[in-house]
Amino acid sequence: MIAFLSPLFLAGALAAAIPIVLHLFRREPDARVKFAAVSLLRRAPVEHATRRRVQQLLLLALRVSALLLLALAFARPLLTSGAVSASSGVTVVALDTSLSLSAPGQFARAQQLGRDAIRRAPAGDLVGVVTFADAAEVAAAPAADRALATSAVDAASAGVGATRYRAALDAAAGMLEGRRASIVVVTDLQRSGWNEGDRASLPESVRLELADVGEPPPNLAVTSVRASPDRIVATVRNAGPEPRDARVRLDVDGRAAGEAAATIGPHQSAEVTLGGARGASAAVSVEDREGIQADNVRYAVLDNARLPAILVVTASGDLSREGFYVRHALTAAGADGAAYQVEGVGAAQLSTWAPARIDRYPVVIVLSTSGLERGGRALLGAHARQGGGVLLAAGPGVDPGVAADALAGAISIAMPAAADRERDRALAPADARHPVLRRFGPGTLGLVTFRRIATVHGAACSPLARFTTGEAALVECAIGGDAEALRESGGRALVIASDLDNAWNDFPLHTAFVPFLHEAVRYLAGERTRAQEYLVGGVPPDVPGRPGVAERMPSAGGGAPSLVAVNVDPAESDSARLTADEFQAAVTRVDDVTRGEAAVGLREQEDRQHLWQYLIVMMIAMLVLESFVGARTA
Amino acid sequence: MSTSPRERPFLDPAVVARLSTLELKARTIVEGFLSGLHRSPFKGFSVEFAEYRQYMPGDDLSTIDWKVYARSDRHYIKKFEEETNLDCHIMLDVSGSMGYGSREMTKHEYGACLAASLGYLMTRQRDAVGLTAFDERIVAMVPASARPGHLRALLVALDRLPLGRETNLAKPLHQLAESLSKRGMVVLISDLLDDPDRVIRGLKHFQFRGTDVVVFHLLDPDEIDFPFERATRFEDLETSEEVTAVPPVVRPHYLAAMKGLIDRYKRDLGACGIDYHLLSTAEPLEMALLAYLSTRARAL
Repeated sequence: MIAFLSPLFLAGALAAAIPIVLHLFRREPDARVKFAAVSLLRRAPVEHATRRRVQQLLLLALRVSALLLLALAFARPLLTSGAVSASSGVTVVALDTSLSLSAPGQFARAQQLGRDAIRRAPAGDLVGVVTFADAAEVAAAPAADRALATSAVDAASAGVGATRYRAALDAAAGMLEGRRASIVVVTDLQRSGWNEGDRASLPESVRLELADVGEPPPNLAVTSVRASPDRIVATVRNAGPEPRDARVRLDVDGRAAGEAAATIGPHQSAEVTLGGARGASAAVSVEDREGIQADNVRYAVLDNARLPAILVVTASGDLSREGFYVRHALTAAGADGAAYQVEGVGAAQLSTWAPARIDRYPVVIVLSTSGLERGGRALLGAHARQGGGVLLAAGPGVDPGVAADALAGAISIAMPAAADRERDRALAPADARHPVLRRFGPGTLGLVTFRRIATVHGAACSPLARFTTGEAALVECAIGGDAEALRESGGRALVIASDLDNAWNDFPLHTAFVPFLHEAVRYLAGERTRAQEYLVGGVPPDVPGRPGVAERMPSAGGGAPSLVAVNVDPAESDSARLTADEFQAAVTRVDDVTRGEAAVGLREQEDRQHLWQYLIVMMIAMLVLESFVGARTA
Repeated sequence: MSTSPRERPFLDPAVVARLSTLELKARTIVEGFLSGLHRSPFKGFSVEFAEYRQYMPGDDLSTIDWKVYARSDRHYIKKFEEETNLDCHIMLDVSGSMGYGSREMTKHEYGACLAASLGYLMTRQRDAVGLTAFDERIVAMVPASARPGHLRALLVALDRLPLGRETNLAKPLHQLAESLSKRGMVVLISDLLDDPDRVIRGLKHFQFRGTDVVVFHLLDPDEIDFPFERATRFEDLETSEEVTAVPPVVRPHYLAAMKGLIDRYKRDLGACGIDYHLLSTAEPLEMALLAYLSTRARAL
């Protein structure tokens, strides 16, 4: 398929009409002379009118062709291998499949709205479908065949995940590939879909439409369960306009352990205390046949956890000289009163370690790759693939190629050129609900000034925060290739696109630095610290992503399996709704980076092909031929 | 001190073209021409007595000068100017091709002016002058006469001659040759754009009948030089046939064809004693008058 880098120049093809118009309307008739001695001319090789007309048409065709070729050359054509070109539009329907849509009748309405959106998409547009809850999935890639999109909508179903608009918009934006685009979000506009400070970024040119499914029906839900040695306290929410009598039941290890009743006012919550529970796990449920069913029960496990040790990789391994800020931040007591044990190692020294030695450290923080040889890179990659966490600070001590190798090729890093001008920018969360960022209020991280940054991106990475200039600031990558690999192995890495040593930014000098590192390490070490409760949207790979109590085997070494509770997000039981304006206001419009990236890709492709040069050569050939024929025609 | 006709300034055809009437044109040309001819060698120019000649059997008895007979007892006949001069027939081609003209005068206008001037000159010489205009047939004819007032009739006829259609020189030539009962002189004014064989045959017919012939081959300068440059659609004045040509390409062929035609007439007509004069409409008419007088002197 042919695409054009500068399609506006195709308008220059209109110039081809000039010779045609001149030929048709302003052509100069041949000189016409009434002559006496025409009989003598007949003996000469005269030019007959028919032949002359053919020559004139040939001349016209040559001139028109030359102009067309010139316009084509200036439009910089290229042959694209994809099925579609960047010039066609795309409409993406983002269909909400979160728990709140599972209320009776809600999802059928959502499907109908989705089908309507597909039908209304502009003629010629490609249409794709994204389904979203905690995470977004591409149900139908953009295609001209709208039946595929409609089938995807028909096949979708509401699940138990929480609403996350940002995931939906990120996934939809990823399908645009720089094309003219519309995104239609089919949702019940649940307010909890945007967390405070949560922002999604969309290119400025993308049109965002909302298709409102409507308010959910009245609903009762158990939103939390707190267990203590002598009792269990459950919180029950009435998301309806009328007071409700709630009957709450407690099951411990599958056996009925108690019941309680409470009357809950409209749009209110009430705590219900149940008797002492002796056992490994508990389930608290409430009777509600009208509303959402999956939030009628909540599970809990009674157990404790512990904190891990952290390894910091620097050039020399001497944390008194390198990684000063990181060491002091982690050894300080966190919000939970715990401090981490921090150890340093030189990159070259790490290369000599045996694989079992690094297993002691659930999280490795890489501040420098200087001297990190192949063995060290392989060690880090294997560590991450086996469920370890890696925090990489893409600062001046990091070599992009070595770092990419250490993260098993999951990420690509480009360092700023030495000649690049320093430019101040701040950091803004793109996913304020992410565990690393959720504790930071709006603007907390915005006080940090980043003067120099690296460019980080990867196919299996998603941005958690962006700089105010649009580039990714903090990305989370699945080590091993893709989300499926992450689910299987648990390996994950956080990459911050600047340093953590007060070189390219003043982050270590801000109060947000310590909690940021604690949250990042806590998140990365999550696999090894064995949390006891997960929301369905945040379960580790070895825990089923459905509500209930599950057994979990230890990832390394021996030991007895532990229990984890998986619950639906209680925010889904909150019936508060957004207005369309509030929804739109939560979307940050950024420069059309993807379009720019697509354009850069097209430009590189065009540079390789150089079709315009062939067109210019053809145009010159046309002009030479035109001169030849023109001279003969005089 | 005499001035040679070739040295004196002749009237430019462009000047002649601006004169109003054909009579005025003819008079201006001829009087101007004659004023330069001092001591003209041509006979028959005077209305006075010309010569005596001994009576020969067959001569008209009324021409015998009886006074001379009384004095000399010999029969002499007195020849006056009008009797010694010629019957001259001017044949003017008025076919469509004569309508071409790139300058102030078309060949038709130039030919008419030439015919008028010749008529005027002939009348001054007391020659009987007649006119035959033709295209593919004879379209107008004024019998030869030297009577006073005949010139005016001739000029009026010339003035009213329309352009005709296609050329067919042979037919009118043969018709006129057959109609001449007396030896005389025929002046043909034509562009001769016809089959040379037929034209030459027709002119030989006059020779056969003892008539002297002078041919003015009248061409426009553009027909001689073919100066066109741009691609041009040439439309035949007689047949309306169109030929599109690129002049730079066809010029050599055309000029060769034209030269061949002229050479053919010059050669074949000269071979049978017919005076041939190529005349461009850019040349002064006096040149034609000189040519005529030269031929006339030989005819007498």
